Amino acid sequence: MNGVLAIIRKELSHYFFAPMAYIVMGSFLLMNGFVFYVILAAVSRAGSAGASPMAIMFGGTFFFWLITIIMIPVITMKLGAEERKQGTIETLLTAPLSDLEIVLGKFSAAFVFYFLCWLLTFVYVLVLRAYGEIDWGPVFSGYLGTLLLGMFFISIGMFTTMISKNQIVAAIFALAILTMLMGSTLFTFIMSGTGREIFAYADLLGVMENFARGVIDTRNLVYLLSGTCLFVALSVKALEAKRWQ
Amino acid sequence: MIQARGLTKTYGSSRGVSDVTFSVGKGEIVGFLGPNGAGKTTTMRLLTGYLYPNDGDAVIEDISILERPKDARKLIGYLPENNPLYEDLTVGEYLDFRARVKGLRGREIKKRIEDVAERCSIADVRKKLIGSCSKGYRQRIGIADALINDPPLLILDEPTQGLDPAQIHHTRELIKSLIAEHTIILSTHILSEMEAICTRALLIHKGRLQFDGTLDSMRAELACQGRVKVTLLCDAEKGAGLLSKIASVEKFEAEPAPPRGAAFSLTPKDSGDIREEIFWKCFDERVPILEMGLEKQSLEEAFLMLTREQALEENS
Ligand SMILES: Nc1ncnc2c1ncn2[C@@H]1O[C@H](COP(=O)(O)OP(=O)(O)OP(=O)(O)O)[C@@H](O)[C@H]1O
Ligand SMILES: [Mg+2]
Repeated sequence: MNGVLAIIRKELSHYFFAPMAYIVMGSFLLMNGFVFYVILAAVSRAGSAGASPMAIMFGGTFFFWLITIIMIPVITMKLGAEERKQGTIETLLTAPLSDLEIVLGKFSAAFVFYFLCWLLTFVYVLVLRAYGEIDWGPVFSGYLGTLLLGMFFISIGMFTTMISKNQIVAAIFALAILTMLMGSTLFTFIMSGTGREIFAYADLLGVMENFARGVIDTRNLVYLLSGTCLFVALSVKALEAKRWQ
Repeated sequence: MIQARGLTKTYGSSRGVSDVTFSVGKGEIVGFLGPNGAGKTTTMRLLTGYLYPNDGDAVIEDISILERPKDARKLIGYLPENNPLYEDLTVGEYLDFRARVKGLRGREIKKRIEDVAERCSIADVRKKLIGSCSKGYRQRIGIADALINDPPLLILDEPTQGLDPAQIHHTRELIKSLIAEHTIILSTHILSEMEAICTRALLIHKGRLQFDGTLDSMRAELACQGRVKVTLLCDAEKGAGLLSKIASVEKFEAEPAPPRGAAFSLTPKDSGDIREEIFWKCFDERVPILEMGLEKQSLEEAFLMLTREQALEENS
């Protein structure tokens, strides 16, 4: 446990040492701010009382997905690839840590960074509150869904960086997996029966729609959490395979 | 302290090390010696659990590195080849990270960092980024890391590699100062370094352990493996014919003719003493041997011969 905390600390200082962290955070806030502004303007013009701007914010726009699937590979790409390239993986893997602790430490560091980015958007909620009543349920379930989705995506990025020596390759690989995951929804249009059901279950747009509406569906929770566990386990296996190579 | 039991590692189809077995007792300081690509780094990586062997095991104080890797690694301070470090951390941050990762807590961390920084003379750069430290400092940072949790066993892969003479001296002195409290295994291809620091040598060659013993006994063994000079009482042609029939002679050259007979210089095929075979061959052919002796060869030359063999093999 101490080892995991030490890795989280180290990775966070790596993040904030490099300009990349500030670029990611800055563009994240800029884009989300813009989206929020547009949503706000549109909603107030239509005068529709039903639609909550925050609900649209979480997964309701093309921008949300674009930001997420680009930002997460950028956050995770260095975690394993850089250690490999610098050779520091050797000191890391010979420290008294289990492979799981190493993966969990790095995973958590990326998650903390992602969490911080979203935490800053809470300012928007406060802005909204100045204009009227807020339905807190959907806001919190929206944040919950966004964080769980982040965990799932980070675990995928974690896996690609663990099997790669080049951070750009790791990022592109993660981007490819995430894009395919998003694109697989299209199969629901051309398939029927069980196949369609599987892809409908894995439809991330639908999952996020539920969370944004304030619906916390166990099936959605199970999907995101088990996906995370799967890729964390694969990352551990990738590290272990390196020792057997 | 540590035992290697039949350690074997192949990289895909290429050779790593095979069947390396030895044991190092408490308080010993042992040097791995061998030409490039001999398998020193591979052996050390197997001992530290960075790589897992295809066969065999390493046991540190009765703890198997395969069965209880975490516990075993706690007992080892490791300085990998080329000493990889995080460039964008300060020296202090790095040591703090390593101390925590190695299970130190609370006030102990600060105390140990001060201790090792003092010992390794890096206290003055604690606030500096590792990326901006000179090579000599970096090497001592690596050693400081290996020492941070005060492990009983130190494994140092080429600790003086790439340093200037002053830094080499400094680093050697540092290592010598650690002998009292730690068991040390280090690797090097510099013989004089071995002679300066180690009490025992392990010679690795082509992935196999070729020799294990004190430096003096290694010198004695290697000395019997060099080239042999013989003077035979016959003409040069007959001598050449006779010598070419000896299986263990790799090649021979005629030397300037002595007052009587013909003189040759012989290179053995495998490492080993060929004088006995020469004697019996000459006895069979009734050619008297006037003189026979080992060509004087320093440890350095013997080592070079090994190295050349390996280089030839790798080119083919
Ligand atoms: N990761 C690897 N993949 C494939 N082959 C490897 C790998 N690492 C080492 N080898 C091979 O294993 C053999 C032993 O290499 P090793 O690095 O252990 O030698 P060494 O004695 O440390 O050499 P040096 O003095 O150059 O450091 C070499 O033939 C090398 O080519
Ligand atoms: Mg080496």
